[in-house]
Amino acid sequence: MIYSIGDSIISPLAMTSHGNFDAILRGESRLQYYEHAFGLPEPCFLSLFDEVRLDQSFSALWDYGTAGYTKMEKAAIIAASQAIEEANIAADRDNVIFILSTTKGNVDLLEENPYEPERVYLWRSAQLIAEFFDNPNTPVVVSNACISGCAAQITAANLLNAGRYQYAVVVGAETLSKFIVSGFQSFKALSKERCKPFDANRCGLNLGEAAAAIVYTTGSDFTQVPNNALILRAGAINNDANHISGPSRTGEGLLRSITKVTRGYDTSRITFINAHGTATPYNDDMESVAIYRAGLQDTPVNSLKGYFGHTLGAAGVLETILSHQALKHQTVIRSMGTDTPGTASPVNVVLQPQPTSGDAFMKLISGFGGSNAALLMEIKRNNESVKTQCIASLQREKTTISVISECKINDDSVILNGQTIITRTGESDNWMADIYHSIGMQYPKFFKMDNLCKAGTLAAELLLKDVDFDRETVKPDWAVVLMNQASSLDDDRHYQATIQDADNYYPSPAIFVYTLANIVTGEIAIRHKIGGESSFYVFPAFSSELVQKTIDQCFAANPELTQIICGWVDYDNGRCDVRMYLVQLTINN
Amino acid sequence: MEELILELKEGIIDVLNLEGMTPADIDENAPLFGEGLGLDSIDALELIVLMDKNYGIKLANAEQGKEIFKSVRVMAEYIQANRTK
Repeated sequence: MIYSIGDSIISPLAMTSHGNFDAILRGESRLQYYEHAFGLPEPCFLSLFDEVRLDQSFSALWDYGTAGYTKMEKAAIIAASQAIEEANIAADRDNVIFILSTTKGNVDLLEENPYEPERVYLWRSAQLIAEFFDNPNTPVVVSNACISGCAAQITAANLLNAGRYQYAVVVGAETLSKFIVSGFQSFKALSKERCKPFDANRCGLNLGEAAAAIVYTTGSDFTQVPNNALILRAGAINNDANHISGPSRTGEGLLRSITKVTRGYDTSRITFINAHGTATPYNDDMESVAIYRAGLQDTPVNSLKGYFGHTLGAAGVLETILSHQALKHQTVIRSMGTDTPGTASPVNVVLQPQPTSGDAFMKLISGFGGSNAALLMEIKRNNESVKTQCIASLQREKTTISVISECKINDDSVILNGQTIITRTGESDNWMADIYHSIGMQYPKFFKMDNLCKAGTLAAELLLKDVDFDRETVKPDWAVVLMNQASSLDDDRHYQATIQDADNYYPSPAIFVYTLANIVTGEIAIRHKIGGESSFYVFPAFSSELVQKTIDQCFAANPELTQIICGWVDYDNGRCDVRMYLVQLTINN
Repeated sequence: MEELILELKEGIIDVLNLEGMTPADIDENAPLFGEGLGLDSIDALELIVLMDKNYGIKLANAEQGKEIFKSVRVMAEYIQANRTK
C-alpha cells in the first residue's frame, strides 16, 4: 500500500495546496486572454506564473539568487520543498527517490540558452532538483506526454512496492513557451476563449503553468496511515494502439485502464471521476464513451481545466492533489466552464459543488502517443478498518522472464540476436531509410516519423520478425516500455527551426507531434497492436541494470502482461543508439 | 492551372513525406483523404501550413480544410482564387 504524507501545488492562482483549493472553491482562475503571448502572432488564453512572486518564494529557500535555475526548476523546487516539509522526511537520505513528471522541461532554452548546453535535457533538470535537496539517487524522469503526472505516481508505487525506497517525491512541473504554445496552435487545439470541458460548444483547450508535488510512502499496516491521507489503491496505463495524436473514438485504452483499476471494486463507492476534460472535441468525447462503456455514466464527473488550463506534465499530480483536498473537505468540485454538457455519450458532469461523505475517486488522463491512465484513490477516514487490498507488488512464485530477441542499432550496424545483419556503407546519408529498405519493410507511415520513432520502429520490427504472435487483434497483455537520455530533443530542434525566424514562421504540426519522447511507444503500439502499458523514461545514461529493474517492475505491477518490448532508444545530434529487447514472462508449472 | 496542379502535387509529396510517390501517382480528381493516399488528420493540418506558407492563404481550422482538400484540383482552384503570394 502506498499513501501520501505531504503535497504542494504552485500555480498562478496560489502557492500552496490549500490556497489553490480555496481559490477554486471561490471560482477563481488566472486564465486570461493574451493577444501576442511569447511574441506569437495568434491570440490565446493562458494561465501564467507571476515570475516576481515565484522568485520571492524561491528566494526564501535559496540564498544565492534566482538566476541559477529556470522557471520550471524553481517552481518544481518550491513545490517539492513544501511537500517534503509537510511529510517531514530527510530528503538527503538514500531511501528517498525523486520522480520528475514533465513533457517539455526547459525546451524554451532551444531558442536561447544562457545555461550549460546539457540544460535542455530533462535528466539534467531532474538532477538539479534532486541535488537541491542533497538527494544521492539518480532521479527518474517520466515523460509520457499528458499522462505523465499519473504515470509518475504509478512509477512511485512500483518503486516503493519493489522495496527499493521508503519515500518517493513525485514532482510534476511545466512552464509554457513559444515552443509549446505555437505547437498546440499549429494543431488547432487551442480555444480563443475560456475552455469549456464536456460542453456541447467546447472548442479547444487552454494551456497553463504549474508545479505540484506529492510525497508517497509505503507501509503494510493500515492503522499506521494518518487520517485523511491519500491512498493510491490501483493504477493502470493502456495504449489505444490507434493513432499518435487522435484518441480512440471508442475509448479503448482508457476503458481498459478503468476496467483494470476497478476490477473487484464496488464502483458505487467512487464519489467522483476527475477526468482529463481538456475541452477539445475529441478528448472529451472519448472520455465520455469510456466512462459510459464502463457503466459509470451516473458517477459525477469533473474537469479542473477551467481553473488552471491544461498544465501538461503537472496536470496529473495537480489534479490528484485537488481531488484529495475535495474529499478531505467533503465536497465535489464543480467543472468550471461547463455550461451545457454535450458529449458523444452522456456523463454526469458536476455543474454545482456537491457535498459528499464518500472516500474514493478515480483520476483519468489521456494524451498523445495513444496513452491513457487511470488511478483509483481513497482517503483514509477515522478509525476505519482495511476495506481494500491496495496496489501491491505481485507475489508471483514461479515465473521466468526470458529475452526472446534483442536488437542493437548504432551508427554503423544493426545487430540482431548477436549477429550483425546490416552494415552501413560509406556514403550513406539516410541510415534509417537504408535499414528500412534493407529489411524489406512495407509501412509508408515510417517516412512521416522523426528519427527517434524510426529507430524504435525498426528495432521493434526486427525483434518481432521471427516471432509467432497475433498480429491482427489488440493485445492488452503486451507492453512497450522504453527509455533514453535525449527524450525527443532531435525532433525538438527540428520543430524549433520552424518557429525560430519570425519572418519565416510556419510551425509544423507534423514535426510538433513528435516532440514527445513517448510517441515512439505509440508508433510501436499502433504497428503491432499493443494495448497494455506504454511508458517512456529519461535517465542520464544507459545501464542494463536500469532496463532490467524497469522490466521487473512492469511485470510486477501488471499481472496480465506476458510480453514487453523494452529497452533504450536514443537519437541525439545525428547519433543513433538503440538496445531493445523482446522479453517474455512465463509461469512455471 | 495544370502547372499549379503539378506544383501542388510536388509540394504535397514533399511536406507529407509520401515516400516513393511521383506526381503521376496522384490523381488530381480523386479524393485526397480516405482510402487513396492514406492521409490522416495530421496531414490535413500540414496542408493548412502548406496553404499559408506557399500561397499566403490562412485557414482557420481543419473543418474548413475538409472542403478545400477534397482533391488536388479543388485545392488548386481554391488557391488560384484566393492566393496572396
